Amino acid sequence: MKEQLKGLVQPFHTLNKKAMLALIVGETAIALLLWQLSGSELIPRPTDIMKSFFTMLHSNPEFMENIIISLSLSFQGMGISLILALFISYLSLIPLFSPIANFIIKCRYLTLAGLNFTFIVLLPNDPHLLKISLLLFGIVPFFVTSFLSILDGINTQEYDLCKTLRMNSWQTMWEVVIVGRIDQALEVMRQNFAISWIMITTVEGLQMSGGGLGTMVVKSSRFIDLGTIYAILLTIFFLGVFFDYILGVIRHWLFPYTKLQIRK
Amino acid sequence: MSHTIQELLLKVHQVNLRYDKQILRDVNFEIHNIVRPDMNQGQVVSLVGRSGVGKTQLFKILAGLIKPSTGKVTIDIDQHEVKPGEVGIIPQNYILFNHRTVYHNLKIGLDFSGKKISEKEEQDIINEYADKFHLREHLKKYPMMLSGGQRQRVSIIQQVLTGNKFILLDEPFSGLDMLMIDRVVDLLLNVSTINDFNTLIIVSHDIENALAISDTAFILANQEGQEGATITEKIDLVSLGFAWNPGIKQNAQFQELVAGMKHRI
Repeated sequence: MKEQLKGLVQPFHTLNKKAMLALIVGETAIALLLWQLSGSELIPRPTDIMKSFFTMLHSNPEFMENIIISLSLSFQGMGISLILALFISYLSLIPLFSPIANFIIKCRYLTLAGLNFTFIVLLPNDPHLLKISLLLFGIVPFFVTSFLSILDGINTQEYDLCKTLRMNSWQTMWEVVIVGRIDQALEVMRQNFAISWIMITTVEGLQMSGGGLGTMVVKSSRFIDLGTIYAILLTIFFLGVFFDYILGVIRHWLFPYTKLQIRK
Repeated sequence: MSHTIQELLLKVHQVNLRYDKQILRDVNFEIHNIVRPDMNQGQVVSLVGRSGVGKTQLFKILAGLIKPSTGKVTIDIDQHEVKPGEVGIIPQNYILFNHRTVYHNLKIGLDFSGKKISEKEEQDIINEYADKFHLREHLKKYPMMLSGGQRQRVSIIQQVLTGNKFILLDEPFSGLDMLMIDRVVDLLLNVSTINDFNTLIIVSHDIENALAISDTAFILANQEGQEGATITEKIDLVSLGFAWNPGIKQNAQFQELVAGMKHRI
């Protein structure tokens, strides 16, 4: 027991599943208790948030509808971003397209708020497409940046191996970069799903027609309905954690060798 | 030991490599086909030198992966300049495709061998090699599930299946215990006898084990007052009577040779 407790504060010490679960439950309970006891006017207590959540769930039919709208928008944005970002990343290995990929990476420094007006002018009659476009503009540069750093980290010996196996440069690209890193593309997608999911509130807040959780947050803010705002934020948080877990499971299922790369 | 030295298989001619300083200087050596009556006898050649002398750079030049600043490497009976894909390499860390199983790593070697064979024939060949090199039970595993020795075997067979007659091995004995080294020696001797033209070139700083397995050894070293490593000595282990002898490491004269070389590199 003494050894186990000592292990809790030792770097690289690994806990078994049961102990880790107990630790998570314990720390969460303490955090909730402290939150409950230290609640102020500005930050509603967990019980207030839960009350708001159940009230919203039972008396606001738009709540579930808005969740579905936000999820649908996020999945569409994520799917299109994945395809676009992978395409741009792969093209970056061809010298002709490399400057384009580098420019897209730098687009991380552009703010969505300023671009909203441009997109409204370009897409005046299609709020859904407008939101998807904003989402793509927000996600793709981060996705390409993450994926290119993975490609940069490929051991040159892998390319040498391909050469000694008589692969040409296209075959090498297919084997090492496309097939060989498809699991990592999914991992980047998982990480960037968080960005896309967080951006939902921004995008839906910028363009409120069509609804969604982001729109609900903005509307609740107008009435300073803090309980509802926190209930929506917690919904966004837990849905994000759930999909993060699901994507992780899918990655291990599709690419079993990724399990071997985890420190145990 | 009855044998004849026949045609030239590989020639390193006046190879120089220079980056910000001279790495390799006027490297010259030749590898000839050694023929022993009534048996397949490939060549095992060692390039021995201390760490950091430029062995890995020479390794890449021999594989055609980098071009020397001047000079050239020519191979085969027609002595054409080496191109990537004509010389197999087994890097020190046994690089394999981690996203493919052992079976598919070996299959990829066959797929790029240029031979037109059916899936069934491919399967038979892979199984045959897997049996010969004790990998049958590991065919469905991913490389990360294998030990270092198993990865090395997969790496070697992958190159053999590609059809490369020349196979370069970078520090094949590095980090292995005594028992494993003996197994690697057996494995390399096994590979060298698959085909009469199979030529294994071992790049190593482990003089004793490299010499114990070789027909010929070249010492790559720096010479006093001159920048860049070059071949300073050739040791014909066949003429000395040390080649093709499994128990040679126990031979006192062989140990004397090894001790002497340690001072010269």
